[in-house]
Amino acid sequence: MSLEIQPQASPAVEPVADSIAVEVVSPPFRPGLAGWVARGVVMAAVAAVVFLVPTVRGNVEVHIYTQAVIYAIIGLSLNVLLGYTGQISLGHQAFVGIGAFTSAYMVTVQGQPFLAAIGMAMVVGGIQALVLGAVSLRITGLYFALVTLAYGTMAEESLFNIQKLTGGSAGQPAPKPMWFTTDLRYYYLCLAFLTAVVWVDWRLMKTKGGRALAAVRENPRVAATFGTDVKVYTLMAFVVAGVFAGLGGALLAHNDTFVVRDLFNFQLALVFVIMTVVGGLRNRTGVVIGSAFFSLVGYFFDKLFSGGLHVPGIKVLPKEYAPIVIGPMLLLFTLTRHPGGMGQRIRPIQRWLRGGRFSSRDTHDDPTSSGGERVSDVRA
Amino acid sequence: MPTVLSRSALTSTAIAVGLAAALVATGSSQALVIGIITGAGYGLVALGLVLVYKSSGVFNFAQGEFGTVAIYALYRVHDKIGVPLIPAIVIALAVSVAMALVTERVVIRPLFDAPRVALLVATAGVALLAISLELWLGEARPRFIQPALGRLNRLSLFDVAVSDQRMLVLAALVILAVVLALFFSRTNLGLAILGVSQEPVATELMGISVRRLSSFIWALTGLLAGIAGILTAPVAGSFAPGFLTSTALIPGFTAAVLGGMKSLPGAFVGGIVVGVAQSLAVSSPAFHSIPGAGSVMIFVLLLIVLTVRPQGLLGRA
Repeated sequence: MSLEIQPQASPAVEPVADSIAVEVVSPPFRPGLAGWVARGVVMAAVAAVVFLVPTVRGNVEVHIYTQAVIYAIIGLSLNVLLGYTGQISLGHQAFVGIGAFTSAYMVTVQGQPFLAAIGMAMVVGGIQALVLGAVSLRITGLYFALVTLAYGTMAEESLFNIQKLTGGSAGQPAPKPMWFTTDLRYYYLCLAFLTAVVWVDWRLMKTKGGRALAAVRENPRVAATFGTDVKVYTLMAFVVAGVFAGLGGALLAHNDTFVVRDLFNFQLALVFVIMTVVGGLRNRTGVVIGSAFFSLVGYFFDKLFSGGLHVPGIKVLPKEYAPIVIGPMLLLFTLTRHPGGMGQRIRPIQRWLRGGRFSSRDTHDDPTSSGGERVSDVRA
Repeated sequence: MPTVLSRSALTSTAIAVGLAAALVATGSSQALVIGIITGAGYGLVALGLVLVYKSSGVFNFAQGEFGTVAIYALYRVHDKIGVPLIPAIVIALAVSVAMALVTERVVIRPLFDAPRVALLVATAGVALLAISLELWLGEARPRFIQPALGRLNRLSLFDVAVSDQRMLVLAALVILAVVLALFFSRTNLGLAILGVSQEPVATELMGISVRRLSSFIWALTGLLAGIAGILTAPVAGSFAPGFLTSTALIPGFTAAVLGGMKSLPGAFVGGIVVGVAQSLAVSSPAFHSIPGAGSVMIFVLLLIVLTVRPQGLLGRA
């Protein structure tokens, strides 16, 4: 009986299904010729700012731009921790500092070539993160934050004072590598490293491990039920973050050509965290922009308000405190009111540049919207 | 509650007495006395950390700055404007309580349903904001302060001369510990806080507003941090921006972890253990060749507790 009814019912259903399907699969938006030209112009303008502007600026300014590029590497390192694993390092100044001192020690004391020194800094960075992570992941919760905080202070007060390794308060020289002795050439070298870091980060997130991390972030229990080893993948992310931080530290050392221990204090660790969160977690472009912003804010603050910002009735705000006064305010604003950070603001622009419409609305088939964008998506 | 208190109190007293006996026997009584007094300050910070952690599940990295703000307020009001000491202390404590309440209202409450890591980042942000404001509006270099009682050494503990300031700190801490123990076991408010920290849902069902208590808990932690700041700054002799964050936050957290992040008496005892361990590391000749031995000791202690006994010294697995 039922066999006779089915052929009758199906023709009645199918046209309905078709009409729905037609509505959903609307032809994808493609810009016209003028649209592509406009996009090309914008991309060329961005590229020109990044590649050409430093060639016409003085060495002092190029040195600061290089620092912005290196901060972007450090920001991406923290993004791996905070964005992908939902854990946070409050001792990143130690990771970066140890990378810097390792590289300086290898070049100056051991007489090793630049690449070997940088490789060593990355290895040391990875090992540190692995050990600290292994200890703190024994308990559920955010103990990595505590352990790294204590580690950072310990490094500041003890490790960085070991005369033989760091040169004590005098510091350790870290000359720029051969072929890259000018500030401009070194800037391009750092840009190349940043590109490599962005590429590695992007590819890693496409691997099984990256998808596992996304699953763990979405729901740790469900991920564990499906056989995902949460701890192993989190540790893997810690190692990646440590390697990036070590690289950032080494590049920072050779940019300054001199490593001083006082640079790596607790305030710096918090600035690293702030630039990553304000930049926008899990949005590489956002993190790069946020990091560059916080690296440059002190310098441009000084240019805008030479001698510091005169707030009526209160003391002058000097430039060296500008990042740590502005930073936390932006951080708290980002967390409570605008969880996507700068990444959320630039998302429509990114979408437009890739040939989509200029809209802030997330659509499911949009590749740029994958991975979520809110800080509060991270689960502890 | 009374049974829990007596159980942990017994265990902790046993540990403390054993430790003290061992140290006096080995001739390190100097380190012991100094360590206990410093450690009691850490214990106060740890108490606040545990209270907040139990009620809202967040590591409060701004705890140290609540105390530093009190020191700055005391300095402003007492030394600059010339308000007498006792009203000045009240004002200073009010400032740190106000800062804690504002933090709760502006930062913690909007993030009530947010993941814990967002809260953690937010409290670290509050800490940096406070430090930067102290740097900007105060002065970057350390300020020296006169102890309230001068540096007389009239009394001694275990044959160790102890300055009057330290004795004052010790007396204040003992009184405070007794008051807190009474507060948590005898008053409705104290019992409600314990309830919230142990079973938030059940407490809510009993008609207690968890959100309203959250404000009160933050005010209390602000008060504890303020007292810790005011008591420890004169012993240290000087203070600079971020004073309590750099001196007491990590020891405080280590103390709280020693107590398993859950037990209030455990946190206080943990503070004393951390204080003694740190002062031993600083004074012992065996560690003289290591720069910053105190912070190395605390880091190692934290790692050991997390690897060997993550549920804390007094906790059950």
